[in-house]
Amino acid sequence: MNTGAAVMVVDDDPAIRALLRHTLEGAGYRVSEAGGAAEALAVRAAEAPALALLDLGLPDRDGLDILPQLIGAGLAVVVLSARDATAEKVAALDLGADDYVTKPFDPEEVLARVRTALRHRARLAGGLGDAERAAVASLVRFGDVEVDLAARQVRKAGHEVHLAPKEYALLAELAQQPGRVITHAQLLRTVWGPGHEGDVEYLRVAARGIRRKLEGDRGPGRSALRNEPGIGYRLDLARD
Amino acid sequence: MTPAPPPRPTLPSAEQAGGADALRGGLVSGLIATLALLGLATLAGLALAERGDVAPIALLYLGPVMFAAIRLGLRPGLGAGLLSSLVYTYFFIPPRLTLLVADPAQLITLVVLLGVALGGSHMAKRLHEQARLAEARAGRDALLAGFAGSLMAVTRAEALWAFLATEIARVFDVRVLVLAPDEGGALALVAAEPAQERADLLEMAAAQWCFDGGRATGPGGQVPTASEWLFVPVPGRGGPLAVVGVGHPEAAMPLHGPQLPLLESLLAQTGLALSRMVLEEQAHALDRVQERERLRSALLSSIGHDLRTPLTTVLGTLRALQPLSADQATALSSARAEAERLDRFVANLIDMVRIETGAIERAAEAVDLAEACDAALDHFAPSLLRGRVTLAVADDLPLVMADPRLLHHCLINLIDNADRHGGPDGTIAIEGLALADGGVELAVCDQGPGVPADERERIFGLFARIEGTDRTGGTGLGLAIVKGFADAMGVAVEAGERQGGGARFVLRFPAGLVRAVPLRGVSA
Repeated sequence: MNTGAAVMVVDDDPAIRALLRHTLEGAGYRVSEAGGAAEALAVRAAEAPALALLDLGLPDRDGLDILPQLIGAGLAVVVLSARDATAEKVAALDLGADDYVTKPFDPEEVLARVRTALRHRARLAGGLGDAERAAVASLVRFGDVEVDLAARQVRKAGHEVHLAPKEYALLAELAQQPGRVITHAQLLRTVWGPGHEGDVEYLRVAARGIRRKLEGDRGPGRSALRNEPGIGYRLDLARD
Repeated sequence: MTPAPPPRPTLPSAEQAGGADALRGGLVSGLIATLALLGLATLAGLALAERGDVAPIALLYLGPVMFAAIRLGLRPGLGAGLLSSLVYTYFFIPPRLTLLVADPAQLITLVVLLGVALGGSHMAKRLHEQARLAEARAGRDALLAGFAGSLMAVTRAEALWAFLATEIARVFDVRVLVLAPDEGGALALVAAEPAQERADLLEMAAAQWCFDGGRATGPGGQVPTASEWLFVPVPGRGGPLAVVGVGHPEAAMPLHGPQLPLLESLLAQTGLALSRMVLEEQAHALDRVQERERLRSALLSSIGHDLRTPLTTVLGTLRALQPLSADQATALSSARAEAERLDRFVANLIDMVRIETGAIERAAEAVDLAEACDAALDHFAPSLLRGRVTLAVADDLPLVMADPRLLHHCLINLIDNADRHGGPDGTIAIEGLALADGGVELAVCDQGPGVPADERERIFGLFARIEGTDRTGGTGLGLAIVKGFADAMGVAVEAGERQGGGARFVLRFPAGLVRAVPLRGVSA
């Protein structure tokens, strides 16, 4: 566990801040709090946290306004957002937020997102071409499936499965950042190229192909390739 | 509110028509008065002549001549002048008691008398004319002012048409038709005085002509027609707003003299009043929209923030707590379940407010129904799913265009509904089918008691529950939200019967929302 990392909780409600502090401290993080956007910038400068849990509905400014500043300062950002604010979530992710948690949240889910985001930051900080990073990330497993990113191979129960090129590209993109949500537009741009950001149906068909070939035996609601309606996909390795 | 009738003003037409009789009565009495004055002047002259005082006698005759010229006009004035000359010549100019004039200088007196008659009558005529015009203008102004005042009190177009018909009929003593364009733009009779159901074809054609040309059309107007009716447009900014027809059963010309300009003035005012009404109506509509908008955002933010923020804390805390004993574990799990129910209810309430206030934002996106069902099932606790839910969606089921968020909440509510009504051990079957008509349907089936045939419409209503079947868990909002969201997406939703017993709720995507699977984008 990434103990000792400093996390800043930005929310205008003291009870929610207290709950998050309790949850995060229980998991070994150091926690600082901010009740608004201005305070958040001040706390960031004073304490240099590694990650911000940022509520977007702040009393003094829109959380989206200070998001670029936080990211520019090298913080990982996990957004706390209302249930139906799909556009807001997508906007935050496109601005560089690592992930989001929907209120009312499950503390376990918050911890999982924080862990994933910090791990992702650590990988990025390691730099491309880093041998250690390649070794750690090159083999991704979920269920009885193994994605070998170095060999560009996918195996199920030890047997190689042939995926269509775009299916593999999509799976590889998600497997490189396991547990992290990637928006539809980001996936389409990376896998299909610029100009395809609106072709969501390509994504649907590729995702369907991946599930059919790798998860035909999983029950409903059990797929590791999770779609967040209207937002994007994440590869959930912890899915049983 | 009915407008008060305007004061009855004097009209030019009434002044002219009734004025002739008054004038005739005045002529006779005026002539008698003139003759009497003439007699008096002669008697006074004779008295003066007795005393040998002849010089001022001619002046005495100025009285009757001026009187006749001013009161009775040019011809009676000249007549009085001539008569005065003759009488004066006869009685007072030597040789007396003859009509002979011995001294030519005396002729000057005669010419002066006639000249006074001419000048006096001319002056009087102009005065008469001015007085008559002033009176007519005053009558017209009073009429227009009264009309404008009454118009202000009319607030609806229908009331305006009726008011226009009766007023014009009363003021001009004519029959009136009022025609205005309906929603489709075709002219239709909207008021008539005396009342009639419809206008003849000839009149309709003339009215249309007037409406299209924007000019007075018919006898007395700028454009001649075959109809006996005169049609005059009600002017508006972008062309005529309506057409008013006037007709008279006896006269060939429904209006005469200055009546047409007067009618046109009245109709110009009517046009202004109509524009005002339209503006007021728009302002009112805007007010209502803004008020509703304000209420909606107040409600949404109040429920969304003030209710959900504490719920987030409560729910989060309950989820984070670690029970120390079996009793605590039971209590904690039931508290958690209740808090989750409350949260679901609040979420549904917000959704319902959105539906009821028309504040649903839609974004269509290609959706894989199997994937959408997965995401919806993800929302539920794993214990619900284990072994109880089956998902049967063909691999080649086409994609559908839907708002992913609205569809997500539809599915959550349908699954929740199946869970609560299907019995603790009943299975939930979700099926996706391509239909013969090119549409796609997604069905959520349970093994509960089902929905009676006569309840299948009502069950989608707000707070609808089937009597005696649902005492636990339901909010009465779930299916209403499914219906509201499905409607917003153009998706049909209905309740049916599952084969072998139970309810079957169907979302039916019409062919227009179905997208074929694009294979080239994936294998390339």
